[in-house]
Amino acid sequence: MTHAMRWCWRGAGTALWLLLLWGAALGQSPAPAVRVTWTGPIVDPDSLVWTRAPAVTVPLTPQVITVPHKPDPAIKELTVKVVHNGGWIAFLMEWKDPTKSDTIMLDSFGDQVAVQLPISKGAAPSPMMGNPGGRVNIMQWRAAFQHDLEKGPPTIKDLYPYAWVDLYPDEILGVADARPYAGALGLENPISRGVATPVLDQMAEGWGSMTAKPDQHALGKGVWRDGVWRVVITRPMVSDDPNAPVLLPGEQTVMAFAAWEGGNREVGARKSWSAWVPLLIQK
Amino acid sequence: MAKVFNWQLGREMDYPYEGTRPRRQFAMVFDTNKCIACQTCTVACKTTWTPGRGQEYMYWNNVETKPYGYYPLGWDVNILEKLGVQDQSKPVYAGKTLFEAAPPGEPVLGYLPDDADYANPNVGEDDSTGLMPQGAYLTMPHMQWMFYLARICNHCTYAACLGSCPRQVIYKRPEDGIVLIDQTRCRGYRECVKGCPYKKVYFNPITRVSEKCIGCYPAVEGGRQSQCTVTCIGKIRLNGFITTPDRADEHNPMDYLVHVAKVALPLYPQFGLEPNVYYIPPIHVPPPYLIQMFGHGVPQAIETYKRARDDKRLLGALMLFGSTPEILHRFRVIGDHAIGYDEKGGEVVRVPLTEPFQIRAFFDEARKVYRHNVT
Repeated sequence: MTHAMRWCWRGAGTALWLLLLWGAALGQSPAPAVRVTWTGPIVDPDSLVWTRAPAVTVPLTPQVITVPHKPDPAIKELTVKVVHNGGWIAFLMEWKDPTKSDTIMLDSFGDQVAVQLPISKGAAPSPMMGNPGGRVNIMQWRAAFQHDLEKGPPTIKDLYPYAWVDLYPDEILGVADARPYAGALGLENPISRGVATPVLDQMAEGWGSMTAKPDQHALGKGVWRDGVWRVVITRPMVSDDPNAPVLLPGEQTVMAFAAWEGGNREVGARKSWSAWVPLLIQK
Repeated sequence: MAKVFNWQLGREMDYPYEGTRPRRQFAMVFDTNKCIACQTCTVACKTTWTPGRGQEYMYWNNVETKPYGYYPLGWDVNILEKLGVQDQSKPVYAGKTLFEAAPPGEPVLGYLPDDADYANPNVGEDDSTGLMPQGAYLTMPHMQWMFYLARICNHCTYAACLGSCPRQVIYKRPEDGIVLIDQTRCRGYRECVKGCPYKKVYFNPITRVSEKCIGCYPAVEGGRQSQCTVTCIGKIRLNGFITTPDRADEHNPMDYLVHVAKVALPLYPQFGLEPNVYYIPPIHVPPPYLIQMFGHGVPQAIETYKRARDDKRLLGALMLFGSTPEILHRFRVIGDHAIGYDEKGGEVVRVPLTEPFQIRAFFDEARKVYRHNVT
């Protein structure tokens, strides 16, 4: 197959996949977001509120639409529960992962999971991170951020126990003056650290457009136990953020998921993802 | 993929983006024959740009010994093996580039090094290809050899890091062709580290994003050459701007060395990135190795370089290396001097083609002593 032919084939394949995944939501009975009695954000995966919600199995497919592909992702499905208390909606995702990956180094990738919601009412945008004009809210939990929050951000000694360094610029200049030497941290790149929450509140309108929002509203927590990740992502149902969904009891919307197994070198586009899943927010 | 013209290959090739060239292109020429691997460039770069946390083993500039030195370990032999043997014998490249050899679902043929591959920046240092037997002596090219290869980011015309980034976070500046990573938008996917065959994009585990050589753009914007260039005690480097061969200006020292004299050659041009650091190949190394590394122009470049003493213009261009911190946009040779000019045409440096020297008598009559050093 010539290169040009391969690209044409990819184009045709993309259209086919889009049809399949976009249309997958049609005809499914919606998963319920069960109303629970709980005050404030629901962040604990071990909370008893989760016994109130039915488990829905969400199949994930390999990301082989946009370059780079991941034809062999490790996570094939998520078990999902959704609850709300009128103020916060919370998603619990569970999946098997034999290795806990929460360290980020050149050849070490972190476990992650994300929930996607359309921002506007009406026809759903592309389930694959939205499309131009069709914005989505993507809340992504990162195992590395969970580690940052629970055990502190890693030092070079944590990552490389035998490292020896004589002096860093911030030890002479002070943190503020040493910011130019701190790279993305000095610029407060939101993916450099888990600050206050292990979940990034983001929006996108197509591949490559993912942007962390200036106001972070999503919270969550992940627990890895006995080869299983149990992760909660929660957000306010209504906010003053124009790039956040407005989720009202009694309404139906859609949700989609993506997951990354760090141990399988999954990162960015190299992931598995779901189609839209209908979601009914119970009154 | 789009079709772009790569002058180093003499043909069109595939690239993920349309071919838009910058208004001018940052370039370097390194004379490998003069490099002694003192690593002053490495240290100058390190102290200027990468002394921070997470950059401990990150050298945007490094000098490695060829053939057994690599930083990171095996960077070039790994990708050469993946690409396979290609026909480099003709001016029009008949083989595949890394873009054309990309597997399905990948933007470019690449690989992600292991973290430990960066752990020994000086591996293979000063190792020669083998031992000289008792009584043997060197002839040209040398039967046992090594040379020093200084490396920075090539600020490629068709950068694979840029083409690999699914977020378009890496960009090539239209004003000077310097390739940069937007540190506010990078999400640390490491696709660029995987895609760059020269392995000149590095991952910072503390900031969790990728970082790379910035071509000392604050200096370049001010008309000055990069830190690694101005600190080079061997004067092996010249930093300036290069144009394409069809627009070559013989008065521009970079254009002259690369396009007119053709003594300076790109590093692994067969990869298809049109890299913009050019090397004067080492004259003592067997050509087959050098042709794989610098392309088909190696024999001619070596012959031309060996005759530099008889070519005032070439000698003049070479003498301007390390002569000034200013970027030289034009040069002339008048009489026995080479003169370099800045962008506005002002003279910034004047160097003799032959360093003046005086031989003193072996015996000092005044002091009645013999001199050990007579020059």
